[in-house]
Amino acid sequence: MTNGIGRAAGALLTYGFLGLMAFLSVFPFLWMALGATNSSIDIIKGRVLPGAALATNVSTFFTQVNAPLVFWNSAKIAILATVLTLAVSSLAGYGFEIFRSRQRERLYRAMLLTLMIPFAALMIPLFIMMGKAGLINTHIAVVLPTIGSAFVVFYFRQCTKAFPSELRDAAKVDGLKEWQIFLFIYVPVMRSTYAAAFIIVFMTAWNNYLWPLIVLQSNETKTITLVISSLASAYYPDYGVVMVGTVLATLPTLAVFFFMQRQFVQGMLGSVK
Amino acid sequence: MSDLQLSGICKSYGSLEVIKGVDLDIKSGEFVVFVGPSGCGKSTLLRMIAGLEEITYGDLTIDGERMNDVDPSKRGIAMVFQSYALYPHMTVRENMGFALRFAGVAKAEIERRVGEAAKILELDPLLDRKPKQLSGGQRQRVAIGRAIIRHPKIFLFDEPLSNLDAELRVHMRIEIARLHKTLATTIVYVTHDQVEAMTLADKIVVMRGGVVEQVGSPLELYDDPANLFVAGFIGSPKMNFLKGAVEPGDDGQLCVRLPDYADAKIPIRVNAAVPGTPVTVGIRPEHFNETGPAALELTIDMLEHLGGETFAYARHGKGDLVVIETKNGRGLKSGDRIAARFDPACALVFDVNGRRLR
Repeated sequence: MTNGIGRAAGALLTYGFLGLMAFLSVFPFLWMALGATNSSIDIIKGRVLPGAALATNVSTFFTQVNAPLVFWNSAKIAILATVLTLAVSSLAGYGFEIFRSRQRERLYRAMLLTLMIPFAALMIPLFIMMGKAGLINTHIAVVLPTIGSAFVVFYFRQCTKAFPSELRDAAKVDGLKEWQIFLFIYVPVMRSTYAAAFIIVFMTAWNNYLWPLIVLQSNETKTITLVISSLASAYYPDYGVVMVGTVLATLPTLAVFFFMQRQFVQGMLGSVK
Repeated sequence: MSDLQLSGICKSYGSLEVIKGVDLDIKSGEFVVFVGPSGCGKSTLLRMIAGLEEITYGDLTIDGERMNDVDPSKRGIAMVFQSYALYPHMTVRENMGFALRFAGVAKAEIERRVGEAAKILELDPLLDRKPKQLSGGQRQRVAIGRAIIRHPKIFLFDEPLSNLDAELRVHMRIEIARLHKTLATTIVYVTHDQVEAMTLADKIVVMRGGVVEQVGSPLELYDDPANLFVAGFIGSPKMNFLKGAVEPGDDGQLCVRLPDYADAKIPIRVNAAVPGTPVTVGIRPEHFNETGPAALELTIDMLEHLGGETFAYARHGKGDLVVIETKNGRGLKSGDRIAARFDPACALVFDVNGRRLR
């Protein structure tokens, strides 16, 4: 009997804690969605119930913002950065795991050390480099520094450990060269790993704020994150409009996540069983 | 069909030498099995034949042509792996035809060869399935089909039955033997299971520590092992080894005295032995009977009744366990004292270094 009560109390505590954590995670999204339906004054007053200002907020947003252009800019940068990052980093991760050499681990550790360097320390040198290359105010300047990601290389190397070496051997006996093994065997076999990496890199690229803020200077090149930021930092910010922008900016990442959810989970658990 | 020759083959990883000068002639159409304990270098040797491992020293020739630096796909070999190594994103049909597609073989010819191999291995209904939709035995058949389709000169099998359950292993063993009979191609097969080696091989290569211990037909190795290791490795249950010493017998002939077995004396015909030499006597479990001239006084420790025969595990005092195979063991029970008789002519004698004394 005492055991039963103890177990029920334990379960209550566990579910209570999990519920609280779930609420804390979901609340900002809920507030964002409800905020899009309220006027700026209501939001400042702290109203967290559905309002009647959604149509006005949406209309104002599309009047103030050239939405097709900024979304196109964001999408272009996010897709380009994601594709290039996956291509470069998966090749590097595969290479680090598959090819043996005396310098391999030293080089790998040196690469991982770059994770410790804060982006703030790189901004000025990067800006000077982009300036010398004549790339300031171009989307290429936003994409280039992101494609050699130490974290993604690390992720691919870890996942490549689960790639069966016998598949590579079988492919060699079948007459494939190393690049063909990568392209025709490794990539399709590791597609869950690619899907998980795609989501992570796409979200990072889509939400990227600081570097685009520095390097993109004209309105024609700006991304949705920069536009939302400029709406929020206006002299009289309209928070309802900001929330509409935020909701719209969240939709593509949500769509990508829901579309690739199954592969994402598989990729996190390991592609090869 | 092809001849395969290994001459002074060595493999080193830095200062670690794992294959230490292997010489071997494999005749066209032979079924050769590399057998040995884990880490003996049998898989490494197979991978060197396949071209998946570089050869540090020595020459590998197929049909007289040196193959050391030839690409795996151009050696005329096909390999079946322990884990099957089927491409998981391709169907059975695509898996089987993949190598030919890469070699630029015409689509119609690929289809014909896939059909041919599928017929031999009864894979027709499975051609459009993915590997994950197949059982272990079916996957193994696909892996073999993928090898057959290339019409290789030499088949290489790397422990292909290790991942299968006991029943399926027996079934696939028969399939492989039948396949060898049908195709009459040279097969080099690696296993640590000596039953597989005994049942499949024309010739067994017993390896230990990167060295070939003995080469011969299964029965040659069983009846006439060159050393203690081969004697112990070939045969299941393994040969009994009894420690003793050579001394003069009553009739002027030499005999081996076994101090751990009530000082039993076994007359032996060993020319190379001199009195006082410590030796090991090897007796196979099935060589014990009820009428042999020599006997060991033993007490039964444990019994295994297999129906057709019984294995009795017996010992004398603190001596090592002796395994006895008998057809008439149903009446025995633990604790029984028995006289395990045998013919000394069946006993093998080994010196302290494990070399056979003849």
